[in-house]
Amino acid sequence: MSLILAIDTSFGTSVALVENGQVRAEHNVPDTMKHAELIGVAIADVLAQAFVQPAQLMAVVAGRGPAPFTGLRVGIAAATMFAAGVGVKLYGAVSLDAIALAALRTHRASKEEPLLVTADARRKEVYWALYAGLDEHGVPIRIDGPGVMKPDELEDYLVNRNVHPTTTSAEISAANLALLVEAQLRAGTAGEDVSALYLRAADAVEPKAKIGKAVSG
Amino acid sequence: MTEIKLLPAGEQYIDQMMALEHECFGRDAWTEESMRFEMLADHTRYFVLLEEETVRGYAGLSKLPSTNQADVQTIAVAPNLRGRGFGRKLLEKLLTEANHLGATEIFLEVRADNPVAQNLYASLGFEHIDTRKRYYQPDDVDAWIMRARLSEGSLREPIVLGIESSCDETGIGIVRGNTLLANVISSSMDQHARFGGVVPEIAARAHLEALQPTLIQALHDAKLSMQDIDAIAVTNGPGLAGALMVGVGAAKALSVASGKPIYAVNHLVGHVGVDVLEGELELPTIALLVSGGHTSLLLVKDLLDDVTLLGETIDDAAGEAFDKVARLLGLSYPGGPAIDKAASGGDPKAIRFPRGLTLPKDMEKHRYDFSFSGLKTAVARWVEVAENNGDDFSVADVAASFREAVADVLTAKAVAACNEHGIKRLLLGGGVVANARLRELAAERCVANGIELRIPELNLCTDNGAMIAALGAQLVMAGRAPSSLDFGVDSTLSVETVHTK
Repeated sequence: MSLILAIDTSFGTSVALVENGQVRAEHNVPDTMKHAELIGVAIADVLAQAFVQPAQLMAVVAGRGPAPFTGLRVGIAAATMFAAGVGVKLYGAVSLDAIALAALRTHRASKEEPLLVTADARRKEVYWALYAGLDEHGVPIRIDGPGVMKPDELEDYLVNRNVHPTTTSAEISAANLALLVEAQLRAGTAGEDVSALYLRAADAVEPKAKIGKAVSG
Repeated sequence: MTEIKLLPAGEQYIDQMMALEHECFGRDAWTEESMRFEMLADHTRYFVLLEEETVRGYAGLSKLPSTNQADVQTIAVAPNLRGRGFGRKLLEKLLTEANHLGATEIFLEVRADNPVAQNLYASLGFEHIDTRKRYYQPDDVDAWIMRARLSEGSLREPIVLGIESSCDETGIGIVRGNTLLANVISSSMDQHARFGGVVPEIAARAHLEALQPTLIQALHDAKLSMQDIDAIAVTNGPGLAGALMVGVGAAKALSVASGKPIYAVNHLVGHVGVDVLEGELELPTIALLVSGGHTSLLLVKDLLDDVTLLGETIDDAAGEAFDKVARLLGLSYPGGPAIDKAASGGDPKAIRFPRGLTLPKDMEKHRYDFSFSGLKTAVARWVEVAENNGDDFSVADVAASFREAVADVLTAKAVAACNEHGIKRLLLGGGVVANARLRELAAERCVANGIELRIPELNLCTDNGAMIAALGAQLVMAGRAPSSLDFGVDSTLSVETVHTK
């Protein structure tokens, strides 16, 4: 009973079933739209591929982003309700950390030469975070971020800090998200916070108290 | 006589129930503590008979999960209402409920010296099976034990959980057939107040945060767990796309998690279908749906198969007009209640604001359509001129005159639709129905035109999950196929698509 269902919609729609370090099933659609259409089929598909009943799960994991708003919420909503519907534990994890986990299997990184993970934030901006390698439990050590900046601002920021990282902008996979939480559970650092990491305020402008004057002006 | 309703008992009725308890049972009355304990226990179901907001009777049963036997714990009807079938109505409800809970037998005790009650029970299938000697003290009266057998599953109606997230209310409701079991609404209204209107991104963020607690509360209120749910229903349009996606993602996950079918349903038709929870939905009907997001006039011949859009707003929704005018008058958000309050004491005839799309040339093309943008501008200009002239005008008069213009055009077109289609029934829905003047004018004009007016309870008029569950239950009971798991949201979904397959 250590099956983890992970759902991440910070990029495309990605759902995976992982058990003790093994990926039992995956369903990835790299379409940055249509999350609401795809999510149900994706979850049903990984359960069916692995012949797993929802009640057999140990936990559900939601990818918290950061990500542009609309799609991200679909996955978090689905993970939250799936966990509530089955009555299992719900964890949240930073999606960039899962990308780092995958990259740090092949790249070495240190405080001096960290790994920079970036992801498209639209509006000509990127989400980013810096990692100094893996800790003894295999959890990526995030030393800065997550943040959102324009690419040239980020470059200036890193130069000013005298950081010259290797960069990855690999796509997030829910399988890596589940493996990340397995490592965090070993380390005792898995988090229950599933709030979305928007990193930007909602677009909304407060109106003037009265609009009367403006009508014929 | 006013209508008497039968509803699940809640703590808000306990004072009234206790007063009735003392009146009906005297020395045998329960204490308030035991009444509350029994009423709120997981293994019990209590119902009240309500006339307006006054409790006229109640009844409760107990059914432990470990047995297939249920017990009638209490039944009381106000003395002045006895002999009119209310005791029977309560008892029938308990029998239905016991059956739903899986009981195959139901027991009760009755005083041996109460033949009226014994006859009622006997007429509902209870038999006298045993006697407890001198059970009622100090009167020294025997108790009859009576038992009725319940046929297994014969009364099974589907339990449907509905999720609504099309605008700024996260609603989760649960119904059993046409019976409301829970209706929990979490609104993000306060967060929109400083923007003077619903901000889609803020609404969507709030849905995500509200979903899980709303689900837990709805299951708690209905005294059910996810295993008891037979189907999930969810709004997939019309509404704010980002907001709808949160509900749809959530509903699909619940469907897969519970292995139960999912029904994607139309928000606007939900506003009509909700009336099944308030008694019989009589069809055909004209329906006027007025909210912050919609102003639509529908012709409903069949709830599931024949809904036609007669007209809708061509610019702002009526609720939006209230919000905007409230803002220019310096009143609070949401504008509906603020304008209602400001209008009290005002003269609705003080200023003749325009009635949108009522001129003959407009009526040709837009007979049942609405427009509130011009009205809003007219109010703004009027205020501007008055201020520029330094006139000391009455906000109450402006508010009352504006409100009158909205209520007038809404009800005039709705009543015209009834008359011209020969349908003498009008159903109101949507949050703007909370507006006192709209209700009043609708009632007046319906009476004058011989039209039967239906207005569901306010918390069923505003956006809610119960209406989505109710429409879902209609689809289940009609044997309709569930939606496939890959349906999407449609922010402009047509009312003719009641159910997205």
